[in-house]
Amino acid sequence: MHQTNSKLRFRTKSVLTGWSFVLLAVILIFVFYFYPMLQALILSFQTGTGSNLTFTGFDNYSRLLSDKTFIVSVKNTFIYLLVQVPLMIILALFISVLLNDSKLRFKGFFRTAIFLPCVTSLVAYSVVFKYLFSGNGLVNTMLLKLHLVSAPIEWITDPFWAKITIIIAITWRWTGYNMIFYLSALQNIDHSIYEAAKIDGASSTRQFFGITVPLLKPIILFTSITSTIGTLQLFDEVMNITKGGPGNATQTISQYIYNLSFKYAADFGYAATVSYSIVIMIALLSVIQFKVAGDKNG
Amino acid sequence: MKKGFALVLICLLLLTACSSNSGSKNSGNTAADTGKTENTTATEPAQAKEITIWAWDPAFNIAALEVAKAEYAKTNPDVKINIVEYAQADIIQKLNTGLNSGTTKGLPNIVLIEDYRSQSFLQSYKDSFYDLSSSIKGTDFADYKSGPTSLDGKQYGIPFDSGVTGLYLRTDYLEQAGYKLADLQDIDWKQYIEIGKAVKEKTGKALITLDPNDLGLIRVMIQSAGEWYLKEDGKTPNIAGNAPLKEAFETYKELTESNVAKVHADWSQFVAALNSGDVASVPTGNWITPSITAEASQSGKWGIAPLPKLTVNKSVHASNLGGSSWYVMNVDGKETAADFMAKTFGSNVEMYQKLLTDIGVIGTFKAAAGGEAYSQANEFFSGQKIVSDFAAWTEQIPSVNYGINTYAIEDILIVEMQNYLNGKDIDSVLSDAQAQAESQIK
Repeated sequence: MHQTNSKLRFRTKSVLTGWSFVLLAVILIFVFYFYPMLQALILSFQTGTGSNLTFTGFDNYSRLLSDKTFIVSVKNTFIYLLVQVPLMIILALFISVLLNDSKLRFKGFFRTAIFLPCVTSLVAYSVVFKYLFSGNGLVNTMLLKLHLVSAPIEWITDPFWAKITIIIAITWRWTGYNMIFYLSALQNIDHSIYEAAKIDGASSTRQFFGITVPLLKPIILFTSITSTIGTLQLFDEVMNITKGGPGNATQTISQYIYNLSFKYAADFGYAATVSYSIVIMIALLSVIQFKVAGDKNG
Repeated sequence: MKKGFALVLICLLLLTACSSNSGSKNSGNTAADTGKTENTTATEPAQAKEITIWAWDPAFNIAALEVAKAEYAKTNPDVKINIVEYAQADIIQKLNTGLNSGTTKGLPNIVLIEDYRSQSFLQSYKDSFYDLSSSIKGTDFADYKSGPTSLDGKQYGIPFDSGVTGLYLRTDYLEQAGYKLADLQDIDWKQYIEIGKAVKEKTGKALITLDPNDLGLIRVMIQSAGEWYLKEDGKTPNIAGNAPLKEAFETYKELTESNVAKVHADWSQFVAALNSGDVASVPTGNWITPSITAEASQSGKWGIAPLPKLTVNKSVHASNLGGSSWYVMNVDGKETAADFMAKTFGSNVEMYQKLLTDIGVIGTFKAAAGGEAYSQANEFFSGQKIVSDFAAWTEQIPSVNYGINTYAIEDILIVEMQNYLNGKDIDSVLSDAQAQAESQIK
C-alpha cells in the first residue's frame, strides 16, 4: 500500500515537472494563437460598424452566400489557384531537374538567380511589376518594338490581362522558392537508381516520370499544399498592382477582407466571417490534397 | 511539487488577467476610456505641452500644418506640436485598429479625415472624437461642409480643404479646334463631349483621362445636382431611379465611346497624362493646381472654366471632389488640440492668405475669401483670377449627405459600370446595383 502510494506520488510529480517545462510555451500559444482565433470566431457572429457591434447569430454567414462581391473574390482566387499553382509547380520541378544536372556549369549562379525573387520584398516587386506592365511600360514597349503586338496591351486595366499580370507576378516570385525544395529532395535520391535505369535503357523522360516524380511525391504534396494556402491568402500583389481592379476582376478574398475592414465603413464582424471562410476552404483543400496525392504517411 | 503547483497557479492567474482585461475592452471600451481621460485631466493641468497630428500629402496638408504650427507658436511658444506624415490608407488603418482595440494609446490628438469617410468614423466610434461646438462655429465655413463634419447637431470637424471642382483646360488645344475659354462658361457635359470631338479631330489629343477603378467623375456629376449614392438620411441606397446618376452613367459611356477619353491606372499616370500634354482637359478638384503648375513649360497654356453641368434641372456648375477636414480626438491633450485648431484653421484669416499664396490651399473658411490673396491673378493661368473663381463656386456647391458607405457603393458601381460599358441596359444596371447595395449595407 505504502509502495503504490509513493509510486503514484512519483508519477504525479514527474507529470507536473514535465508540464512545467512546456507550460510557458503552452500559455503563449493559447494567448497569442487560440485566444485571437476564438475572438475572431466570436466576432464573426457580430455585425455593426467600428465598435458598435451587436450579436446577430448566423446573419454574417448567410450574407456570405448571397454576397456577389465575395463570390467573385472566391472565383478569382480559385482561378489563380487552378492556373498558377500547377504552372508554378511544373516549372519549379523542370528547373530543379535542369539545375541538378551534374554536367551543368555555374550551377550556384543559376540557383541564386532563380531563388533571388523570393527574398525581395513583396511590395517592392509588386510596384516594379506594376510599372513594367503599365500602358507605356517596359513590357509593352518591348512587345511593340518586336512587332509582336500592334497596340499596347492593357495589362492593368483590362479584366483578362490584369489576371494574367497577377499570375505572371506570383509565378516569378514563388517558383524559385518551390525549386529549392525540389533541389534538396533531388540530392537525396541515390544516383545509382538513375544509373540502373540507364543500363536498362530508360530515356531521360522515362527516368523523370518513372523515378524523379514518384520519389519527389511527398515534396510535391508539401509544395502544393503550401502554395494552395499561399494563393488563398494572396494579398500584396493584387493590392499593389491592380488594387483588385478593373472593377473587381482581380480581387482576392484577402483583399475583400481588407476592403471590408478599412476601405468601407469598418465592418470587422463580417470581415472575420470572410476570414473564417478561408480557414474552412484551406482545411477542405488540404484534406483533399492529402487524399489524392498522399500515401500511407498522409 | 509545491513549486510546480505554484507555477501553474501563477500562469493561470496571468492568463485570466490577460483575458479579463481584453474582455472588458470589448464590452465597454469607450466608457472606460472616457473615464480614464477625465481622471487624468482632473489631476493634470488642462493645457498639454505636446500634441501630435496625423495627415497625408506633404505638399499640401503637411505644408498647411507647418504654417499653422508657426502661427500658433507666436502666442503659445511652450506647446510642442509633432506633425506626422502617413499615407491616407495608413491613417485609416491605424485609426480603425486603434479605436477598435479600445486603447487610446498611440492615437494622435488631431487627425485629417477625408469628407467621404468622416461620418463612418464619427458614427462608428462615438465619444472617440472631441466635440468642438464651443471652439468653432460650423456656420463660419462653407455650407456643404457641415454634413460631413457634424453629427447629432454637434460640430466635430474643422472644415479644411474645399475640393471645389473646376474644368482645367488646355487653351492652346481649344484654340486649334476653334474654341475660346469663354465658349466653355455655361456648357453641359454633352456640349463638352462635342468640343472634345473637335479637339481630337484637330489636335489628335484626348479630351480627358479616366481611371476605370475610380468613379470620381460620377461623384462630381451627381453632387452638382444635389444627389448622392444614398438618400438624404445617409442610409438608404439611392441608385435605381436616381436621374442624375443615370445621366452621369450615360455621359461616362459617351465619353468612352466617342473616343475622346484616355485610360490611366493610377495617380502617377494621371499626372503624367496632364504634364505631358496628352489630354486637353481635366474636370477635377482644385487640389490638382500644384500638379498642373509643376510643369512650368506649360505656363500660359492652361485656363479654368466652370464645371459642365448635367441637363437635369437642379444641376449647377459647381461640385466637390474629395476634400478633407481636421478632427480632434477625445484623448489627453484635447483642450490644447482644440485651442490650436480654433486659433489657426478656425479663425485666422491672415493665415489663410498665407496658405493660399505659399501652398495654394483653398480653405472653406468663409471670412478668408474676402482677403487680398484670393483676388490675385495667376500667371500660369494667363492671369486668370482662379482662386476668386473657385471661391465663388465653393458657395454654390450643393450640400449632400455622404453617409458612411461611399466607397462600398462605389465598388459595386464600378463593376456595374463595366457591365454597362459592355452593353448591359442602363436601367437594369442601376436596379442591380441598387439591389446589391441594399443587401450589403445594413
